[in-house]
Amino acid sequence: MADAFCPDCKRSTEVVFDHSAGDTVCSECGLVLEAHSIDVTSEWRTFANESADNDPVRVGGPTNPLLTDGGLSTVISKPNGAQAEFFSSSLGRWQSRGANPDRNLILAFKTIATMADRLGLVATIKDRANEIYKKIEDLKSIRGRNQDAILAACLYIACRQEDRPRTVKEICSVANGATKKEIGRAKEFIVKQLEVEMGQSMEMGTIHAGDFLRRFCSHLGMTNQAVKAAQEAVQKSEELDIRRSPISIAAAIIYMITQLSDDKKPLKDISLATGVAEGTIRNSYKDLYPYSSRIIPTSFAKEEDLKNLCSP
Amino acid sequence: MADQGSQGKQLLSRHPSGVVFTIQNVVSTVNMDCKLDLKTIALLARNSEYNPKVCTGAKSEQQSKLAARKFARIVQKLGFPAKFKDFKIQNMLSSCDIKFPIRLEGLSYSHDAFCSYEPEIFPGLIYRMRQSRMVLLIFASGKIILTGAKSEDDTHAAFENIYPVLTEFRKIQQ
Repeated sequence: MADAFCPDCKRSTEVVFDHSAGDTVCSECGLVLEAHSIDVTSEWRTFANESADNDPVRVGGPTNPLLTDGGLSTVISKPNGAQAEFFSSSLGRWQSRGANPDRNLILAFKTIATMADRLGLVATIKDRANEIYKKIEDLKSIRGRNQDAILAACLYIACRQEDRPRTVKEICSVANGATKKEIGRAKEFIVKQLEVEMGQSMEMGTIHAGDFLRRFCSHLGMTNQAVKAAQEAVQKSEELDIRRSPISIAAAIIYMITQLSDDKKPLKDISLATGVAEGTIRNSYKDLYPYSSRIIPTSFAKEEDLKNLCSP
Repeated sequence: MADQGSQGKQLLSRHPSGVVFTIQNVVSTVNMDCKLDLKTIALLARNSEYNPKVCTGAKSEQQSKLAARKFARIVQKLGFPAKFKDFKIQNMLSSCDIKFPIRLEGLSYSHDAFCSYEPEIFPGLIYRMRQSRMVLLIFASGKIILTGAKSEDDTHAAFENIYPVLTEFRKIQQ
């Protein structure tokens, strides 16, 4: 029900919007003012004939703004019933030869998607990684570098930018063939390139032990109480002068907390969950031990329990 | 041709904070103005090493020049018409200890444009000083490494520059 100018009645009349046909109709004379209006509300699906074969309503996949033309393409599809004969025929050859300008890009996106899936990352991080890759993609200077390392570094940077950092070791585990060093170098390179292009808007803060704590604890299956205690301990440990990588500190604190609880995790499990070597956890524990009374919250363990903590 | 030196030498700095820094390495080049058959020299001269990668080790500007002169003399003795032209120091690396711990994260946050701090990759903060084109490696222990200087004065200037910043981010242990 709205007021619009009707050309037949030559005045403003009440107008009815018919949702089923998408028409705007004048209520006085019945003239259709606008037909086929585009519905901008959310999508709906028809489940009536849910056949996996052909849904003629949809054509192609979701548009990807990073690809040229949004990923539109025309494909010569296999005729029904034809098998091997198709691909040796001229039609088949023409299709597979197709000069898709984005071939490298699509391949890279696929690799990033595989890595992101293995780590269980959300689509936001994956899309950001795709964007980052697109920005640095056509620079000549990456041609020489290890492609896997570049893609892994894109993913690493995307995780950092979304405030969900992943350790380089975790990224290493899903990137085939890229070493920690290579990924580190690639990351520095990409950050520098992006600064040059985007004029210094790279906001990537330093990593902290607390960012990884929740994840490590959940890998180990610690109780909620233990997790909370570990988080508090990490907060307090930031004031101390401990010269260790934040991941090692997180691992050492998890070790300390689990030793104080009933559910003691062996060093091996913690080493596996955090990616920190057992020797490093032991050394970090040695550094933290003198301050144990300051960092462990009293709600979790009292003074006597701390005495039970084995001296490293 | 690259130069090779030997001993270390401690130099007192005129720095008001009383912090002394030690020059660890000086890389310099000199033009001998004649074609040198490197293989012959390597075989004939007693304490030479033909390594296509540049090798250095001089611990002071004067030592470096002295060593270069000595080397030129050796080359002369071997029969090449060597001259001592264009002696130039390419790089000087020095280290020092400011004796107090530093909050690297705070420093990297406030000087974001110049710093690169990745504790996972490397424990030190990499500070690239734009106006003097020098790179400083700053560690949480308070040890600093300065490199990229062409002379001692460059090193002093860079150090003067960074010292107030470092005191600002001193770690106060409770």
